[in-house]
Amino acid sequence: MELIFWWMIPAAFLVAGGTYWVVRKRDRIDGSVRRPVAHSHRLTELPEYRAAVRRHRRWLTVAAVAGGVLMAAAVVAAARPAERSTVSPEQRNRDIILCLDASGSMSSADAAVVEVFARLAQGFDGERLGLTVFDSSAVQVFPLTDDYDFVQEQLAEAKEAFDGAPGSAGFLDGTWNGAGSSLIGDGLASCVEGFPAAEDGAPGDSGGTVERSRSVILATDNFVSGDPIFTLEEAAVLAKEKDVRVYALNPGEFDYGIDPDQPGAQLRMAAEGTDGAYYALDSPEAVQDIIRKVQSTEATAFKAAPQAALADRAEIPLGIALVSGLVLAGASWRLRS
Amino acid sequence: MSSLLTRVKSKMSIFAHRKARGMLDGEYGSVFKGRSLDFDDLRAYIPGDEVRDIDWKASARHGSPLIKRYVAVRRQTVLLITDTGRNMAASALGGEEKKDIGVMALGVVGYLAQRHGDVVGLVCGDATGSRSLPAKAGEAHLERILRTVDGGTGLTSPRSSIGEQLSYVARNYGQRMLLFVVADELVPDAGMERLLRRLRAQHEVLWLTVQDAQLAGADSATQPADRYDVADSRLLPGRLAESEAVIRAYTAAQEQRDAAREAVLRRLGIAHVHAGSSHDVMPAVFTLLERHRRGK
Repeated sequence: MELIFWWMIPAAFLVAGGTYWVVRKRDRIDGSVRRPVAHSHRLTELPEYRAAVRRHRRWLTVAAVAGGVLMAAAVVAAARPAERSTVSPEQRNRDIILCLDASGSMSSADAAVVEVFARLAQGFDGERLGLTVFDSSAVQVFPLTDDYDFVQEQLAEAKEAFDGAPGSAGFLDGTWNGAGSSLIGDGLASCVEGFPAAEDGAPGDSGGTVERSRSVILATDNFVSGDPIFTLEEAAVLAKEKDVRVYALNPGEFDYGIDPDQPGAQLRMAAEGTDGAYYALDSPEAVQDIIRKVQSTEATAFKAAPQAALADRAEIPLGIALVSGLVLAGASWRLRS
Repeated sequence: MSSLLTRVKSKMSIFAHRKARGMLDGEYGSVFKGRSLDFDDLRAYIPGDEVRDIDWKASARHGSPLIKRYVAVRRQTVLLITDTGRNMAASALGGEEKKDIGVMALGVVGYLAQRHGDVVGLVCGDATGSRSLPAKAGEAHLERILRTVDGGTGLTSPRSSIGEQLSYVARNYGQRMLLFVVADELVPDAGMERLLRRLRAQHEVLWLTVQDAQLAGADSATQPADRYDVADSRLLPGRLAESEAVIRAYTAAQEQRDAAREAVLRRLGIAHVHAGSSHDVMPAVFTLLERHRRGK
């Protein structure tokens, strides 16, 4: 507990002293309007008068105490008592793009990812979410946005499409325009380009007005069939240049051995090359755990420096001031009547 | 500054118009001038003269009442005694300063005495001591006496104690005199009663009480609410004295005090009267002289 405007208290004492002096001075001048009388014992020795004086004095004391407490509480409140605490705020300015491979083999994993994010988006505040689906060509379903209602709506639609609900096939329109299918490198590159350009050209430089972390949740099995414009490695380099972390989820790891040319190993390399991570997925239910892990990793990575937080704690002095103000009002009414 | 004595005289002339002209003069003369066996002359009757002084035969011859005048036995010395402590600077019952009433009363009596050729002296003071002016004749001397009282009384004066002045008189004056005491509401105690008895044995004593301001009750309604005691500057908030119970108790106590004072002075054979404002002074002095005559 500390006082922000601590000088308020000596200032209040000075003002109080000055007022007291002025009032005393004026009181001495005002004394002439009172009538001088002699033999006041004629009145003061009456028990009835003494009782009246005692009553009056009691109420005066109550009023004086209440007034004093009111003043003191008001001064304390004006001095802004505050509680200082150190907090390490979790970074809330994250941009996440869900980059989902829309090939048929991925639909259950995609549905799980979308479902998890639909749930997470309810608790988001400040984070931006985007969704891009790709197969042979990439389609940005919605760009980075913090309109969470819209996000929920879109994610629900995406989930229906990935679950294969009737009438929802149109959701994936436009993802087959390229040559081949599952052009992972192109998809990732499209997702990475979905982030806005860094403001001063130096991504991740803290010189920018708002530093936002960037991550891509890439769900793919990395089975490329066709001729992509970007290879996965090139896309990963692009991501690293733009300071984007790639978290890869692979629902079907079919690597044989530890050959680095295997698709799973390539994906792992690509993801880890961007400071991201790679997760092999055994079942769609595991998606939830993995994304929570990703979220916490992100949170740790982007925990801001500990900050001193000051919270005003004026409620106690103000409460005291209110109560003593009421008492003062009652006492002065009593004194006046 | 207009002369204090002029003020007294104009007050007396107003009074004389309202009562019969010269009534007070006759009253003073018949009370104090006494009768010797040496007949001096006759003069016209003025109201207030003793009826037994009327020379009936001469009056019958003359057609209007005539008074036998005798050579005065002696020149009387009138000693005015008053308090110039700060109690007398406080408010009186009528709202004036008490010293104004005191000065008026002293002036009236002093002027009457002076007109009858008596000499007038003064003893005044406060708790710290007394001063005296020697008894002399003449209006200038009377004016000086009144100024001494008027100028010597203020809120910054020392405390009041009329007992101090009375014992000063008891100590310092050997001759027989007429004492005219103007004081505020006296609370007589055993010592005071002894002192008064001592003075009464030597002198003739007339006593005028200047009534103090009422501290609680209906009369004080039009006056400022707050008062303070001149003795110790203690504040008396007016609002506290407005309750029914306080007023009742105050009134009862006031009556008791008045009765006690009256009883003591009567027991001692001192003619006593009270005045609450300077308008009351003339009738009060008249009543005082009447009472003194009856008391003889």
